[in-house]
Amino acid sequence: MAAGPYNYSYIFKYIIIGDMGVGKSCLLHQFTEKKFMADCPHTIGVEFGTRIIEVSGQKIKLQIWDTAGQERFRAVTRSYYRGAAGALMVYDITRRSTYNHLSSWLTDARNLTNPNTVIFLIGNKSDLEAQRDVTYEEAKQFADENECSAKTGDNVEDAFLDTAKKIYQNIQDGSLDLNAAESGVQHKPATPRNPLNTDQTPSKEGCAC
Amino acid sequence: MVHTDGLSLKKKTSRIKKVLSSDNVDPAKLKEFAISRGGLLNDEIRKQAWPKLLNVNVDDIPKKPDAEVLKGHRDYNQVVLDVNRTLKRFPPVDLIMRVLVNRPELHYYQGYHDICVTFLLVVGEDLAFALVDTLSLNHLRDFMDSNMDRTKHMLNYLYPIIVGTVFCLSWLITWYGHVLNDLRHIVRLYDFFIACHPLMPIYLAAAIVLYREEEILSNECEMCVLHGLLSKIPDNLPFEQLISKAGDLFLQYPPPDLANEAVLTFRKKRYGLDTLQIP
Repeated sequence: MAAGPYNYSYIFKYIIIGDMGVGKSCLLHQFTEKKFMADCPHTIGVEFGTRIIEVSGQKIKLQIWDTAGQERFRAVTRSYYRGAAGALMVYDITRRSTYNHLSSWLTDARNLTNPNTVIFLIGNKSDLEAQRDVTYEEAKQFADENECSAKTGDNVEDAFLDTAKKIYQNIQDGSLDLNAAESGVQHKPATPRNPLNTDQTPSKEGCAC
Repeated sequence: MVHTDGLSLKKKTSRIKKVLSSDNVDPAKLKEFAISRGGLLNDEIRKQAWPKLLNVNVDDIPKKPDAEVLKGHRDYNQVVLDVNRTLKRFPPVDLIMRVLVNRPELHYYQGYHDICVTFLLVVGEDLAFALVDTLSLNHLRDFMDSNMDRTKHMLNYLYPIIVGTVFCLSWLITWYGHVLNDLRHIVRLYDFFIACHPLMPIYLAAAIVLYREEEILSNECEMCVLHGLLSKIPDNLPFEQLISKAGDLFLQYPPPDLANEAVLTFRKKRYGLDTLQIP
């Protein structure tokens, strides 16, 4: 990890949260593999995906933690919120209950991440218009109230990219301090410096986690 | 095909059948067969041997409740949702609901259906109900609390052997049913787990990680990379060798020894002294 040039300048850590069955893993799969997974199994604990994107000419590696939705797994998944630069909060537009639970997910996200964490709201399954149970306007209002951005699921790419743009913007205008512990962002200059999460004792030299 | 314990497949089959056909089946003998190379060999034997191993009376299986009763359970909708996602061809919904209705104190968890579907495929619904009902009160009991505290504690047992444990949560609570593709591998492991201590899936996890040591250490030391690498089990693992290794580890580091370590690990985590934290 310590040696060699990086083909990206930053690492952004994301988490995907929301009720079970809203399509968190499918969103991740769609974003990283550009494929829809029809028989997507439930997630137990956490799973992980990565992709390199480009924002304003900078290559950014997204490290995305996909979490289990069932309530009982929160005891495990909560420890993954720490140090997330972006949180994608997902609900299913065809199931109102998943929308109603957003405030609880938001509370977790706010409490367990840092104040600069960019939280995006995603209404998934927008292809199932006939079964729609939550209107876009309603969600948009919720998102505005909570400083999130609402997004319908067919723009998966945009959801991930817009979050990254917002994070990058926060870095540019200085509101996100890269040296702060748990900023969820690692800068990767040509000569790697110490990992940002200095509260951890790496088990091996150069461990960047 | 000759097995390490000197028994050919044919010989082992006939020996198991002989034990099964006796009036008083010796459970210790059956356990030996379930653990030793090849396990219980085929589903025909499993149908007879699994009930004996779990001390289930196949002639006394409670009648299936009416559909309304099953549908009226608090977890019915979630079970249907989970099952419909992946198991359309062999939906274990009724099986799961029968256990949950029968045992109101047990809580459904995502992953439970991975176990149930295996039993459904091997022994059919009625017998699967009797077996899973018994397992849920024994091997799986800690996973079925209202919360995951005891499950998390079980994961702590792995700390003395390696670091970081969430990658194998699904291995533990689904007995590897969630992560393995080949049903033959899964049922072989189930022979082993049914015959052993409830913590045996943890020992197998350790055996798998140790087996892949070189591959794992040659990767980037980055939590996310390691998580991805560790959590995906290759399909071509030598399961017989790993089962034997897990058995060795169990003898070498029996649960009471690890329990002390697990408490230490818990305290370390609690007071922030853990050396490798989740990012």
